[in-house]
Amino acid sequence: MRRAALTTYFLPRDLHPAAWWAWTLGLAVAASRTTNPWLLLTILAVVCHVVVARRPDAPWAAAFRIYLWLGAVIVAFRVGFRFVFGGAEGQTILVRLPEIPLPAWAAGIRLFGAVSAESLLGGLYDGLRLATMVICLGAANALANPKRLLKALPPALYEVGTAVIVALSVFPQLAESVQRVARARRLRGGASGGRGRRRRVRVLRAVIVPVLEDALDRSLKLAASMDARGYGRSGAASPGARFVTGSLMITGLIGVCVGVYATLDGSTPRFLATPVLVAGLLVALAGFRLAGRRVRRSRYRPDRWRLPELVVAASGVGVAVVLFATSSVDPTNLNPSLTHLSWPLLSWPPLLGVLLGVLPAFLSPPPEHPYGAVPAAAEKVAA
Amino acid sequence: MRMRRSLPAAAAIALIAAAAGPVAPAHAIDPGKGHPGFCKTAAGVTVVVDFQRLGGTTIVRCNPRRTRGTGLDALKGAGFQIAGVQRWGEGFICRIENRPSAVEELPVRGRDGYREACVDTPPGGAYWSYWHAGNNCAWQYSQWGVKNRDFVPGGFEGWSFSLNATAASNPRPRIAAVRPGTAGRPCVAREEPEPTTNDPNERQPGGRAPGGDAGNGGAGGTTEDPLDAARPPGRDGELPPPRRRTLTSPSPGADDPANNVAFDGGERARDVNELVKEQSGASDVAPWAAAGLAAALGLGAWLTARRRRRARDA
Repeated sequence: MRRAALTTYFLPRDLHPAAWWAWTLGLAVAASRTTNPWLLLTILAVVCHVVVARRPDAPWAAAFRIYLWLGAVIVAFRVGFRFVFGGAEGQTILVRLPEIPLPAWAAGIRLFGAVSAESLLGGLYDGLRLATMVICLGAANALANPKRLLKALPPALYEVGTAVIVALSVFPQLAESVQRVARARRLRGGASGGRGRRRRVRVLRAVIVPVLEDALDRSLKLAASMDARGYGRSGAASPGARFVTGSLMITGLIGVCVGVYATLDGSTPRFLATPVLVAGLLVALAGFRLAGRRVRRSRYRPDRWRLPELVVAASGVGVAVVLFATSSVDPTNLNPSLTHLSWPLLSWPPLLGVLLGVLPAFLSPPPEHPYGAVPAAAEKVAA
Repeated sequence: MRMRRSLPAAAAIALIAAAAGPVAPAHAIDPGKGHPGFCKTAAGVTVVVDFQRLGGTTIVRCNPRRTRGTGLDALKGAGFQIAGVQRWGEGFICRIENRPSAVEELPVRGRDGYREACVDTPPGGAYWSYWHAGNNCAWQYSQWGVKNRDFVPGGFEGWSFSLNATAASNPRPRIAAVRPGTAGRPCVAREEPEPTTNDPNERQPGGRAPGGDAGNGGAGGTTEDPLDAARPPGRDGELPPPRRRTLTSPSPGADDPANNVAFDGGERARDVNELVKEQSGASDVAPWAAAGLAAALGLGAWLTARRRRRARDA
């Protein structure tokens, strides 16, 4: 009996997309709370591990690698800017570049000059934090099916949700297009050809044009299919009512964004945090209420929220909660001081908290194989 | 730079780096910089750090620097360990000698259980107030930021923790700005002009051109010649300027040195890094565990991906 329950639990299937979003947002929030490189590296490792273990064999899952590259570029830029715009804060001067004198109206900006290890590390930590958050979002895109997320949205989010899903799926779709076109070129033996600049121009033309065309085609196709299913239809509502609903929702969502940002970021004025968040939520709820009243939808085979979904979501939220709790207890370790060059310290509670995030790699069912057949070797590893 | 790297490589680098680099030993006060007690001559500047209601012995150290420098140079060159807030960097000092520490609860009025996290500007009820004085002069609340004014050679720089005080009742350092052996001499420090704009990059106007900054403190140096050479303006950040305060017309003379509180050179204070480690409950093993786990997870991910790829290709 118990064995049967276990088998059902681990039966290959795609989890509810909202569960993966809750998990990644929890990890992203946790990353936003710390600049400790040990913690950030652990978060990155956790995210990569879970993504590799649980991503489906789907087009949007292939974009994760591009998010990793994006993260690397972010870190490189952050560190590079410390070279360009003054990195003299700190005592361990690594290199003295010639400083470019600027006119008086550019006071406060410094070009090149001495670069200290402290400021470079500051850039590295800061960049690593942003990169980790971006990669967390990439993980959500890789793990959750954007189209099923749209399906699961409450009817009130109808108008906004369509735009959000299209925006969210553009990047993974582009990535997938690039991979497909490159593969097709390889199959055709297109890699050979002229040399040097001419060849590069030709490659550019041979990749970019089909990719853009492909992306446009697919966007149109998505739009058409959504239109056919009634998305974006206003029904019998009057233009005035639509205007009120739309502005209520946009204002509310902007308020929610500002409020969430202020709540998560420790250095924003507090009056922007809870008051704006609550006001934004109220306005948005009013908008949802109005919108929901006139949209009626039935769902075909709705995604169910079951135990594995709970486990996945809880593990992500748990990471965020642990980091919030420890940051009020020991802020020292979450934001390592760079006044004195030393190895960043780390205590156990936040590290163990971050490790909660790896649970979905073991405690969630493996993804469904698109062609029905389950490759035994891969699934054994994944489970 | 090794920015473009895959995760296992990053973990490996971290691991190697952790193995290779032992933490350099540090002291609470950097003994290589400055010396304890007052400056003996007019060369250099005496830095006074008074913890006031935080508790702790007042520290007096001398920065024997002969060239001109900012208030921040004076403080750091005397060997003090400071921390700036994350938002402004070292332009706003939030901790001196790890006080107030991250675990210390400050009884700030209106903010129960406030702890200094050094993230944003500290509240007006609990911050390090910045003072300066010429030798034999009264302490003056600085109208300038720590990076925007030059210290008075032969004079004093004071840091006094202001807890629940107002602009009028900010406690001045409880050490008279008088170098031993010079008591009774007249105060000759220049009057520092107030900032004229709200530009945070405005620097104190100075009289002397750069280059003429030879310290004039001989063995019997009694002359006080404030060398307030102007520096090129606008080098540092965008910190808001200190709020202008009405000075209670400074009494011309210094306090009576007989009323000085007990002080030392900070030699007995505990090592700041060690203290921070202890206060935060950091573990020596945890960074190793983090690096090891990151490496293990990365390896696991790589193995899984490889097996999957093979299974798909097969």
